[in-house]
Amino acid sequence: MTDSSTASRGKPGTGLLRRLRTTSLRIRLIVVFALVALVAAVSVSGIAYWLNRDAVLKRTQDAALSDFRSSLDRTITDLPLQPGCGELQTAATLMADTGLQYDVVLEQNGCVANSARGFISPASVPRTLVTAVTQPCSYCASDAGQYHLFWQRITMDGIPYLVGGTQVQPGGPTAYMFKSLADERSDLDSLAWSLSIATLLALVGSVLLAQLAATTVLRPVARLGEAARQLGAGRLDTRLEISGAAELADLSQTFNQTAEALQAQVEELSAREHASRRFVADMSHELRTPLTAMTAVTDILEDEADTLDPMIAPAVRLVVSETRRLTDLVENLMEVTRFDAGTAKVVLDDVDVSDLITSCIDTRAWLDAVELDAPRGIVARVDPRRVDVVLANLIGNALKHGGSPVRVQVRVEDTELVVRVSDGGPGIPEDVLPHVFDRFFKADAARRRSEGSGLGLSIASENARIHGGTITAANLPSGGACFTLRLPMTSAVEPGHPLAADGGPRPTGPADPDRPKGTSA
Amino acid sequence: MRQNGGVSHLLLIEDDDAIRTGLELALTRQGHQVSAAASGEDGLKLFKEKRPDLIVLDVMLPGIDGFEVCRRIRRTDQLPIILLTARSDDIDVVVGLESGADDYVVKPVQPRVLDARIRAVLRRGERESTDSLSYGDVVIDRSAMTVTKAGQDLQLTPTELRLLLELSGRPGQALSRQQLLRLVWEHDYLGDSRLVDACVQRLRAKVEDVPSAPTLIRTVRGVGYRLDPPQ
Repeated sequence: MTDSSTASRGKPGTGLLRRLRTTSLRIRLIVVFALVALVAAVSVSGIAYWLNRDAVLKRTQDAALSDFRSSLDRTITDLPLQPGCGELQTAATLMADTGLQYDVVLEQNGCVANSARGFISPASVPRTLVTAVTQPCSYCASDAGQYHLFWQRITMDGIPYLVGGTQVQPGGPTAYMFKSLADERSDLDSLAWSLSIATLLALVGSVLLAQLAATTVLRPVARLGEAARQLGAGRLDTRLEISGAAELADLSQTFNQTAEALQAQVEELSAREHASRRFVADMSHELRTPLTAMTAVTDILEDEADTLDPMIAPAVRLVVSETRRLTDLVENLMEVTRFDAGTAKVVLDDVDVSDLITSCIDTRAWLDAVELDAPRGIVARVDPRRVDVVLANLIGNALKHGGSPVRVQVRVEDTELVVRVSDGGPGIPEDVLPHVFDRFFKADAARRRSEGSGLGLSIASENARIHGGTITAANLPSGGACFTLRLPMTSAVEPGHPLAADGGPRPTGPADPDRPKGTSA
Repeated sequence: MRQNGGVSHLLLIEDDDAIRTGLELALTRQGHQVSAAASGEDGLKLFKEKRPDLIVLDVMLPGIDGFEVCRRIRRTDQLPIILLTARSDDIDVVVGLESGADDYVVKPVQPRVLDARIRAVLRRGERESTDSLSYGDVVIDRSAMTVTKAGQDLQLTPTELRLLLELSGRPGQALSRQQLLRLVWEHDYLGDSRLVDACVQRLRAKVEDVPSAPTLIRTVRGVGYRLDPPQ
């Protein structure tokens, strides 16, 4: 394929055709129209020109020759058999004195008589004509007093001439006639000029027509293209107005039907998706009511477990711990459905990042297990509870799956807050790395079931995203995994988020008359 | 008011039988005396009969909902109200705080957490010193735990009063929302800043001449709030 196409591109003719085929429809239409118009106009003009030329020349020629013949007849009979040069000259002048304005050259016995208008001489007579005139001719009329007129068209000094010639009779004078065709030529030239202009006009007209036709044809095509683009961009309610030529209307209708079918399918799919999400949301919501009641009494059960029958106490403890696990799972599930539905909200506050991380670690009794490298005084505008969820997930994961030392490093890079959580464990297998933020993805299928809901990192990632930040996972060259949380330092809400909330009624902006003044400790 | 010996009388308004029973059990075990109602109407009736020290109020109630119960109680009484809400980022929280609740807990709630919140709210009404301060026409009497504005008694909830006391204890000093959450609400860490904002809003409505243009409790952008003595 490549070879043949290269080869054909090598040939200029095929290349041009190929290029023409691939250029726009508009250009092709114009070229075709122009070619058709050109061929038609040129052939019509050409034929008209040649017919005209023939007719004009023939008429002039016939008139000149017949006039010459009759004039010759008249003059010759007046001439003596052996005329002198003076008599010949008189005869020539007499012959040339007609309305048709031709020159006459008479030649006999070495005498040359010229009607004396300029440069014409027997030398001007073409050799072929001389030969034809002076040679005896077999096919010429042989009647007495008859002679054959030969003629030829020549150009002398740029002016076309009709040259007629004859030998009156054997021994008689040889007569030549020179008729200028300059007038005819100028008539024909102006005709050719007019025809060229007409051809040019036809060409221009055809190009304009082609442009018009292309526009009428291409406008629906352009509309169709635009509609298809919109459809591709997800605007499934795009429809075309059915109008124009039958083929285009048909195409528009097909497009509309396709779009309708597509829309119906997408709607059905998203309705199903919506229904299933709705189901999960409703279900987790429903699960919460009994869980709330159960959670309310777990503390009592736990406190009493020590005093219970040793057979019963483990059962009670199991119920208590599993109730808490179930509560966590349902909480996470609800959090996920909130992200899916876009109803998750950000409550922003200015917090000291170092305080936030210290509290996060302290509350979960991880202080001894974590090396914290966080300069004090970094204040970021974030949702502290969501960031706490992210940090607890990342640090908890590092402690659980990685190994000591777990390091938490906080830095400000440009306008971003960067928190790196690294561990000294074996790292994350390369094939697992892209999936660590997937829901319910567990690196080891046989992993013990008590190791979390499988939603933790997914929720952490969503929490970062809703702040306009990211979490990435990577392996350190020294071994061990490193999770990097990047959050914008300010105005951390994802722009355009429908439910972005800014910490309730907090007056800000220039309209606020209650501006800080002076310094505050 | 509160009975001696630290036993507080709570009113629990919750429509779900299981949750109501569970919370009643847990709170009783934590040492509170609990009355329980299954609807807003019953709750309001019981409130008038028993005059509890604190109300734990579910938001989603059949009939009149938790917000309306909250509003009706606030018309006459300033006792602490803790909301039981479905989710922390719900519109429930904002509306609940605007209708006058002091704090909220998210279901499913651990009884220990709820008990801690209850005790924290109740502590806000306790007297701590005996001095009296005045800011313009606002006079804060710390011994009587009353606030007057132009001689008129202001009806403040214990939370609003405690917030005013904390701010007035450090005049001219900006306190961050997280600091105020620790001082007033006793949240261990990462409390919801909307609690502070809503309470400041309610407090301004009561003590400021023009609540939308506050001169006493001022916002310090990027930090929190500050109480400015009038010049």
